[in-house]
Amino acid sequence: MKKIAVWLHRIEDAVLVLILLSMILLAGYDILARTLFGGGEGWIPPLLRVMVLWLGLLGALLATRSREHIAIDLISKLGGPTLNRIASVVTLLFAAVICALIGWYSGLYVEMAYEFEDIAFAEVPAWIMQLIIPFSFGLMAVRFFIQSISAAIYGPETEATPATDNVVAPEKVA
Amino acid sequence: MSILIPALLLLLALAGAPLFAVIAASAMWGFFQTEVDLQVMAVEIYRVAEMPVLIAIPLFTFAGYLMGESKAPQRLVRITDAFLGWMPGGLAIVALAACALFTAFTGASGVTIVALGALLVPALQKAGYRENFNLGLVTTSGSLGLLFAPSLPLILYGVIAQQMSLETPVSIDDLFLAGILPGLLMLTALSLYSAWQSRHLPKSNHKFDGKEAWAAIKDSAWEIPLPFVVLGGIYGGFFAVSEAAAITAFYVLAVTVVIRREITFTQLPVVMRDSMKLVGAILLILAVSLASTNYMIDAGVPEAVFETIQAHVSDGFTFLLLLTIFLLILGMMLDIFSAIVIMIPIILPIAVQYGIHPIHLGILFLANMQLGYFTPPVGMNLFIASFRFNKPVMTLYRATLPFFFILLATVLIITYWPGLSLLLVE
Repeated sequence: MKKIAVWLHRIEDAVLVLILLSMILLAGYDILARTLFGGGEGWIPPLLRVMVLWLGLLGALLATRSREHIAIDLISKLGGPTLNRIASVVTLLFAAVICALIGWYSGLYVEMAYEFEDIAFAEVPAWIMQLIIPFSFGLMAVRFFIQSISAAIYGPETEATPATDNVVAPEKVA
Repeated sequence: MSILIPALLLLLALAGAPLFAVIAASAMWGFFQTEVDLQVMAVEIYRVAEMPVLIAIPLFTFAGYLMGESKAPQRLVRITDAFLGWMPGGLAIVALAACALFTAFTGASGVTIVALGALLVPALQKAGYRENFNLGLVTTSGSLGLLFAPSLPLILYGVIAQQMSLETPVSIDDLFLAGILPGLLMLTALSLYSAWQSRHLPKSNHKFDGKEAWAAIKDSAWEIPLPFVVLGGIYGGFFAVSEAAAITAFYVLAVTVVIRREITFTQLPVVMRDSMKLVGAILLILAVSLASTNYMIDAGVPEAVFETIQAHVSDGFTFLLLLTIFLLILGMMLDIFSAIVIMIPIILPIAVQYGIHPIHLGILFLANMQLGYFTPPVGMNLFIASFRFNKPVMTLYRATLPFFFILLATVLIITYWPGLSLLLVE
């Protein structure tokens, strides 16, 4: 189980880094091509836009892993330990349910796009581009659920297992 | 039932539920009640992939984080010191100018305090400034460049405003222009205060040194073109925001990793991941709020709120006053990105009814939110600074107080003098 999680984290990280790098290179190339040769490849701009979605959702998965989602967080600053614990369990469970719902319904949506053979751009089918939505929300649901259980058993954590080798000082978004 | 669910969601938000989940839940509850298939959530989220300007968000954020991790902050302080350090209160003004520039480029995420604060606080201390002044100055400056291009909140406001199909179109380029004078007003006000604060200090013998200035220029040779290319390119209309972001990311990556080698290839993925966490948090909130905005507009929420307010408030003057108070409270509770995506869809149509220009609204909204960053008790930068400088939050409450009132005065000027924001646009 632990092993699967570690591998999953590695794959997520690798895909994220790969997309960001290709985005920087493609966006750079696109500008060069348009200014120097008067026209770029037609598929680059729509691909870049889809990459934003993928980066955003993979980044959101990362933020779920290290509990850095934007939240108001009054209780953990002002409330006592018991209240804090209850709030953690309930809010994490709530997030898990909402993510599961979005994951489920977007899964249905992607299935439809697959059946209707929607096209995103060039000849790329739309469902492949959309797959990240059910995938990321499904995985976020699982993560929030696990965190909720662990908050119930061990009490709330402010920071999860520090996401390995942070060179950037972790600043919490209040 | 109609009041129960929203109240429950509000409670969950206050209890610390991730805001995106709260927003998504409210949208889904709305769609569910009007019998819209919830697959619409996927349609709305996919719209993130249909807005070209959003490309700027991951690219600028990454470039900002990368610069923050390199030695660019040291060079930035050196070069501003070489050129502004000789003035009365020079070092404090250096701090303000460097922070403003850095915040504009890193998207106002608290990175400024972490990256520049560590350099500036000890330097200010050595020059003889009071500790409270130093802490207050750096904490305040953490959100100072918010109104200057290419800050992310400005871009995000433009994105949201463009969804509203208003009669007056809101272009991001115009927002960038509109932010200049109000941003300079804030910068000037704080500079004057700093110069006044330094009146008791022993007269520094820091004179303008041509040699040091030239050395600082050479030291920053790779960074100097960046603001000129980006700001000149955007303000001059040579390229769009997303193109400027692409150039910035490409250039910063090449300079820090390949040319200067201040970030190694093994550190690079870590910086990428850290920056994408912030991007993920912002884009996720944006994605689900596209759904809730859509629902709210269909359900006529802004009109209903407007009618309620209209019954009590007839003139724009009072409306703006109430708005300022409301935004100050909001700014204490919500970070700027959530505040924009949640509140603008409601506030913007109402403000337009009161005759407020959408661009002016954007500037005054962000100016208010900038205060919110360090308004006690929960302003985000207070906690970042408390963490960074290892000081109790109470110390920072006191330290930022004078800065708070100075900026509050400038916020009121910005709010009641639309011309300041609109002068460069028209």
